[in-house]
Amino acid sequence: MTPGFMPLLRLFDHALLQAASLVVPRSRRAEWRQEWQSELWHVRRTCIPTDCVSWPGEQQVISFCLGAFQDAFCLRRQTLPMRLPRPAKQGSAAQCILALCIVMLACYVIALLLPGVRAERGLMVGQVNPGLVMIHNAGYSDDTSPTIRPRQYRMWKARKQQYFDGFAFYRVESNSVSQEPASSGANVAAWGVAHASANLFVLLGLPLRFADPDRNAGDGLPSVILSEQLWTREFSAKPHVAGTVVRVGKHIARIAGVAPNGFWKLPGKVDAWLLEPEPETASGAGYVVAHLTPAGAAEMWAQCVHITAYGPDDSEDDLLGVSIEDYRPGPWSIYLFALLLALLALPAITSVSLGELTVSPQRTSWSRRLSRWSFLCTKVAFLLPIVYFASLDIAYAFTTPYSNASAYIQLISTFGFTLFGLRWVLRDQRQRCPVCLRLVEHPAQVGQASRTFLAWNGTELMCMDGHTLLHVPGMPTSWFDAQRWLYLDTSWDFLFAGSLGD
Amino acid sequence: MARDIKSADAKLSHTAALILHAVDAGFVYGFSIMEMTGLPSGTVYPAMRRLERDELIRSHWERQSIADAEQRPPRKYYKLTPAGKSTLEASRKRYPLLERLIPSEEAKSV
Repeated sequence: MTPGFMPLLRLFDHALLQAASLVVPRSRRAEWRQEWQSELWHVRRTCIPTDCVSWPGEQQVISFCLGAFQDAFCLRRQTLPMRLPRPAKQGSAAQCILALCIVMLACYVIALLLPGVRAERGLMVGQVNPGLVMIHNAGYSDDTSPTIRPRQYRMWKARKQQYFDGFAFYRVESNSVSQEPASSGANVAAWGVAHASANLFVLLGLPLRFADPDRNAGDGLPSVILSEQLWTREFSAKPHVAGTVVRVGKHIARIAGVAPNGFWKLPGKVDAWLLEPEPETASGAGYVVAHLTPAGAAEMWAQCVHITAYGPDDSEDDLLGVSIEDYRPGPWSIYLFALLLALLALPAITSVSLGELTVSPQRTSWSRRLSRWSFLCTKVAFLLPIVYFASLDIAYAFTTPYSNASAYIQLISTFGFTLFGLRWVLRDQRQRCPVCLRLVEHPAQVGQASRTFLAWNGTELMCMDGHTLLHVPGMPTSWFDAQRWLYLDTSWDFLFAGSLGD
Repeated sequence: MARDIKSADAKLSHTAALILHAVDAGFVYGFSIMEMTGLPSGTVYPAMRRLERDELIRSHWERQSIADAEQRPPRKYYKLTPAGKSTLEASRKRYPLLERLIPSEEAKSV
């Protein structure tokens, strides 16, 4: 080893001490560092001769410096316990509520950030008109198939109706949509186009983006409404698209606006709506949307209404009107449905008892019972929004908005979260001291399973504030079938002398 | 906080008793105790922290003027408290060989 290494080794020794000093609590760091640097000076003087270089001596010095880390950790341990949170706070009701609050906020913020959830929320703000039903032939089990002929629609529309005050018709075809009206349509991608009666959007009450009613006045061209997907793909999402003349199949039409993404919940995959004054009689079957009068709404049962219509040849058609809301329920409807299912399934996976039996005959005071019930209600009140937002987060994190997959995922996740969330709420409640609402701890197995019928066998848990003991039977028997609380009197105080002061 | 270890009946570990004995014998700073006992720095200094926490030894800094006169940094010295002396007496009964490990007379004469 050359003498040139000496300053480097000294620097290394000091660096070791500096690093170790970072472990020492700040209040004692300066004095600790001074002591070790002073000792290092003496160690170096003793171990390393002044006029020569000694590798064994340097090893001793480094070994000495490494011991500083143990000393620093020891000093930290001596100081740190005073800073630790008091054990009395662990498992408390406030801690539980705080944790639930944090989880709820986290789920809510994530839901706000997901584009799918925002789109669904926007749609919920602009709901379709109430009292609308989709009419289809009752003889068809699949209500998403077109079953109504344009001739039937025209006849119903022409007659005076008791139960309906508005009809709209549409049928879906695959057509090309081109920006050039003179185009023949060849080499242009085909889109799903709904050939609809002119009043469809008015009847549904759906808002349009970029709509400009003045542009359509006077030219006699039918209007076409683009879906957001078509508008983005074929028209590069131009904001001034309204009024543009386009070719839709064999029709020349003027764009009247853009439908907001995902608003279409009715049967048929539609990318554009061509609004014609009257549907072509010769065309195929389609769908009919009708608006109920108050008399018609009174006939609704379970979101359905049965209709008997007479055809042109006096034949009777058996029809069914299904509320439009049933075609694709929104997140809130799915949530409520899954919540109901979970509540029904809850008794199958856990006892719904709150386990408030007591060994002693004394009754719990009103204030304690009130606080216990308030705590339970608070937990449930936090759980329900957590389930709602968490299920939305999962449903829309990896799926496209308004897809069926997102609805199914939301249904399943809401059911699962609610079921196991409520199970946790009840189990948590059963293990909280009725006096302080703190979780009982230190489970101790008492007795032997083989002696269940001769003596007590089960688990005992203790409130660390010294209020109660919880007895949970290992095997339910006719004389001890559920958990019981034992309220501790003052004779037990000596066991909790350390924690009672907290 | 009251600590039972302050009483004369307190049970010290062999290492703590050895260090206490070394301090009593006149080895009054960390490195000298290391040299005398043969224990590494990672054992001696933490043990001294604990003894000081339990008020069996007390520390004080050397005056700067003395250190300056000898052209070295000031040292931190340790000495036994009355509780430490009582505990040491009790530990001598428990570890009778301690006397032989550290030659107290020689150390005191240095």
